[in-house]
Amino acid sequence: MAVGIISVVLLTLVGGTLLTFAAGRWARYVALGTSLVFLFEAAYMLSAFVWPLPNGAGVPLYAFSETAPWVHLSWLTINYSVGVDGISLPFVLLTAILQIVTVVYTFEEDRHPAAWFGLVLLTCLGSFGVFVSLDILQFFLFWEAVLIPMFFIIGYWGGVRRRYAALKFLLYTHVASVVMLVSLFAVAFYSHAASFDFSDLYGPAQGLATTTQVVLFLGLFFGFGVKFPVVPFHTWLPDAHVEAPTGGSVLLAGLLLKLGGYGLIRWGLELLPSGLEHAAPLLYAVAFASILWGAFMSLAQRDLKKLVAYSSINHMGIVLLAIAVYSSLGVMAAVLLMFAHGIVSALLFMVSGSVHDSFGSRDIVSVNGITARTPVLATMIMIGALASLGLPALVSFPAEFSAFLATWDRLGYFVLLPLLGLVITAAFYLWMMQRLLFGPARNLPERAHDLPAHEAIAMGLLVALIVLYGILPSLLTNIIVASPIHLLP
Amino acid sequence: MIDTEVLGQFAPEILLLAGTLLLFVLDRAGALRRELFGAVALAAILGAGAIVLADLGVGFLAPLRGIGAAVVDQPVGASALYGFSSLGLLFQGIFLLAAFLVALAAVSRPSDEPGAAVFYGLLLLATLGMMLVAVAADLIFLLLALEITAIASYLLVASPRRDPRALEAAMKFYIIGALSAALSFFGASLLYGAYGTTSLRVVGHSLPAGAYGDLAIAGFGFLLAGLAFEVTLVPFHMWAVDVYDGAPTEVSAFLAGGTKKAGFFALFLVFVGPLLLVLAPGTGPAGTFRGSLDLTVALLAVATMTVGNVLALFQSEMKRLLAYSSISQAGYMLLGVAVATAPALAGATFQIFAHVLLKAGAFLVVAAAAGLGVGPLVSDWKGFGIRRPALGVAFGLFLLGLAGIPLTVGFFSKFVLFSAVVEARGWFVWLAVAGVLNSALSVFYYGRILRTMYMETPPAGSGGAGVGARSSLAWDGLGYGRAAAIGIAAVLVVALGIDPGPLLTAFQSAATHFLTFGA
Repeated sequence: MAVGIISVVLLTLVGGTLLTFAAGRWARYVALGTSLVFLFEAAYMLSAFVWPLPNGAGVPLYAFSETAPWVHLSWLTINYSVGVDGISLPFVLLTAILQIVTVVYTFEEDRHPAAWFGLVLLTCLGSFGVFVSLDILQFFLFWEAVLIPMFFIIGYWGGVRRRYAALKFLLYTHVASVVMLVSLFAVAFYSHAASFDFSDLYGPAQGLATTTQVVLFLGLFFGFGVKFPVVPFHTWLPDAHVEAPTGGSVLLAGLLLKLGGYGLIRWGLELLPSGLEHAAPLLYAVAFASILWGAFMSLAQRDLKKLVAYSSINHMGIVLLAIAVYSSLGVMAAVLLMFAHGIVSALLFMVSGSVHDSFGSRDIVSVNGITARTPVLATMIMIGALASLGLPALVSFPAEFSAFLATWDRLGYFVLLPLLGLVITAAFYLWMMQRLLFGPARNLPERAHDLPAHEAIAMGLLVALIVLYGILPSLLTNIIVASPIHLLP
Repeated sequence: MIDTEVLGQFAPEILLLAGTLLLFVLDRAGALRRELFGAVALAAILGAGAIVLADLGVGFLAPLRGIGAAVVDQPVGASALYGFSSLGLLFQGIFLLAAFLVALAAVSRPSDEPGAAVFYGLLLLATLGMMLVAVAADLIFLLLALEITAIASYLLVASPRRDPRALEAAMKFYIIGALSAALSFFGASLLYGAYGTTSLRVVGHSLPAGAYGDLAIAGFGFLLAGLAFEVTLVPFHMWAVDVYDGAPTEVSAFLAGGTKKAGFFALFLVFVGPLLLVLAPGTGPAGTFRGSLDLTVALLAVATMTVGNVLALFQSEMKRLLAYSSISQAGYMLLGVAVATAPALAGATFQIFAHVLLKAGAFLVVAAAAGLGVGPLVSDWKGFGIRRPALGVAFGLFLLGLAGIPLTVGFFSKFVLFSAVVEARGWFVWLAVAGVLNSALSVFYYGRILRTMYMETPPAGSGGAGVGARSSLAWDGLGYGRAAAIGIAAVLVVALGIDPGPLLTAFQSAATHFLTFGA
C-alpha cells in the first residue's frame, strides 16, 4: 500500500513530537520546523483536494483515503482508516495554523521548554488524528491523546488554581469520552456493521430504527456536548481557561472545542440523521441556553480572559444551533463558524495573555486606557473583539450570518432568541473596549511594554487570516460543500 | 524408569527447579554477590521462557521445542493429571514475564541485604508452582501446584527477616492462605464424593447427566471461595491490601503481577474450560446450574471492581492505593469467567497480560522511588515527575494504562474485554456497562497521583522527592536492574498499546481451543 499524504503528516507530527521532547533547549526550533512542515503539508492537501463523489451505494468517499488492517478478531474489526472531505479539511488547516501560531507565540517559554513544545505538538497531533480518522477506535485513540497533554499543560504551566482546574478538566472530558466511545461502539454493535470503519457503518447506522437512533444520538450528544461545551456541562471550561497558560487556552479554545462540533457532525449527524432530527428540540433548547448564558455571563466578567471564555460558550451554542437545524446551509455555517471561532478566539486569548504580561492584571475594570501605552496590542484587541462580535468583512460575519439564515429557514422567529445573544455579545465587547482601551489611563505600571516581536508575529498572522477569510469566505465554503452536506435538505 | 518424553514436556519446570536448587546451594557457599544470584535466576527464567515460546510455535526457537505440536490442545485422558493447552502455555509465558521483571529489578536491591540467594530461589519456586497450575488437568494436581506457589510466596513476603511489618504481612498471608487452601481442598473432596474422581474432564462430562446434587454444588461453592481468596475477589480481598503493603515492594509486584494470575488460570480451568463447556446456558437443570454460576461470578466481579475502585479513592498511601486498584482490576478479569465465551476469555487473558506489565511496572517504580528516599504516602511524591523525568514518565504510563487511557496496552485490554462481554449479549451487556463506569471512576485517583507528581511542589526545605539518592547505584541511585525492568515494561506498554494485533490473535485462537480442550 502506498503511503498517502495523511500518513506522511501523521509521521511528521509523531516524529516532530518525539524529537521535540528529546531536544532539550533546542526544542523550540524543532517545534517550529515541524509546524512549518505541517503547514506546508496542510497547504498541499488544500491545493490537491478533490472530493470523490459518493459511490453507487451512496456511501461517501474521502480524499487521500487510506485503509489498512489493524486488529482483526472474530468479534472485532478495527482498521487504520483515514481520509478527508470538505467537512474535515478546514479543521486540518485550522490545526496547522494554530500549531504554528501557538509555537511562535510561546517561543520564549523557558519553563521546561522541551516538555512544553512537545505537549503542544502532541495536542495538535491528536487533533489532526481526530479530524482525519474514519474508524471509531482510531478516532477515540486520537481523541484521548488530546486530553492527556492538555491536562499537563493546564496543570503544570497554569495559574494559581491550576491543579484543581486540570483535574476537573480531565474528569469531565474523560467521562464524556467514555460515554462517547460507548455510544459509538453501540452504534456499531446495533447496526451489525462489518467493522468500525465509517464507510461500513454509514448505511447500517442510518437504517437503524428511529428510537434506537435517538437513544444513541443522545449518548453521542452528551459525549460531544461536554467538549463543546454546552450548558449545563460547561463548568469545566471557565476554570480550565482561566488557569491555563495562554498557549494552552489558544489550543483549548481553538482546537479542543472544535473536536466536539466536528464529532457531532461526522459521527452524529451523518450516521444518525433521524436521531438528530427527533432530538432537535432538545438541541435547540440547549443551544439557546448556551448562547444566552454565555453572553450574559460574559457581560458580567471583569477578567478579560474569563470574558473571552464565556463568549466561547456563546459561539459554540450558535454552532450547535446551526448543526441542529439540519440543513446543508446550517452545517456549512457550523463548519465555517468553528473555523472562524478557532482563529478569532486564538487571537483573543493571546491578547488576554499579553495584557496580563504587560499590565500584571486582566481586570478590565481597574486597568483602563491602554491604547496610548501599547498601541499594537490595543489594535490587536480591537480587531479580535470586532471579529468576535461579527463585524462584516471579518471572518465571523459570513459564518454567523449563514447560521442565523439557516435557523430562520427552520425555526422562523425563534431566531430572535440567538440574535438577542448577538446583541449582548456586541455590548460586552464594546464595553470591554471602552474600558480597557479608551478610558482615561489608570493602573498602568511603568514597566508596561508593548508586544514582543514573536507575539506580534503570531497575532499578525491570525489577523491576516481573519481579514482574508472575512473578505473571501468562498475560499472555505468551496471546500466545505465538497462533502455529503448537499444530501441534506 | 524416567520417561524422556515427560522430561521434554516439563523442561521449563525442570529448569526452574534446577535454578532453585542451585541458588539454595549457593546460599551456603559464603559471600557471593547479589548480581550472581540474579543472573542464575534470570538465566533459568529466560531459558524456561524460550522453551515455552518454542512450545507455542515461535519459529526460530523450534529446536527447543519440548512438547510435540500433536499434544497441544488435544483432549487429555480421563486419568490424566496434566495436559497442555495453548492458553496454558500462554499463561506460562505471562508468569515467566512477571518473574523476569521482578527478578531483574530485584538485582538493584541493596547489596548488603541478606538472603538474596534465598529470595531468588523462592521466586523461581513460586514461578514453578504457577507453571504447573497452567498444565493441570486434575483438581488435586491443580491445588497442589497452587500450594507450591503459596508457600514460596509466604516466605517471599517474610524475606526481610528483621522487618516486623513484613513478618506481620507474611503471617496474615499465611493464615489466609491456609484458610483458602482448606476451602479449596474441602471443595475438591466434596466433588470427589459426588463424582468419584478429581479429574476435571470426568467431572465436566458427568455434569450434564444431571449429576450435580447438593454435594456437587457445595463442592463448587467451596472451590470458588477458596480460589476467590487467591485472586482477591470481594468479599475475600481484605488480606491483599495489608500483604501488598507490608511485603517488600518487589514481592508486592510479584504477588499482584504474578501469583494472582495463577489463581485466575485455576478459575479458568475449573469454571470455564474442560469442566463447564458442556453446560450450555439455557433451560433444564444444566442450564440452571450454569445460569446461577454465571450470575454468582458476575455479582462477584461487579462487587470486586466497584469496592476496589471506591476504596482506592480514599487511600493516602501509594502501595495501599495500588493494592486496591489491583483488587478492582481483578473484577474486570473475572468478567471472562462470568461470560465464559471464547472472546471473553481472550479478552480476560489480554487484561491479565496487560495487568502484569502495568501493575508490576507500577510497583517496581514504587520500589525504585523508595530506594531514592520517597516516603510511603502519595503526598511524598510531590514534584517526583519533574525531578526524575524518566521514572516519572514510566510511572505515568503505568497509571494511564491502569486507567485504560489509549496508546497504552491498558486501553486495548479493557476495550477488547468489554467488547467481548457485549458480544455475548443478553444481560452481560450490563457487566460491560459496570466495567466502563468503574474504569471512568478510576481515572480520578490515577489522575490525582499524576497531579501530585507533576503539578505540586514539595514543601520547602524537604529536598523533595527523588533527590536524596541513598545508594550508590548507577543512574542516580536507580540501578541498572530496576531501570531495565521498568524500561522494558514501559516500552511494552506503549508498543502493545499501539499494535496489539498479533498478541490478540494468539489469545483468541488459544481461548477458542481452550473451550474445546479436554472435551
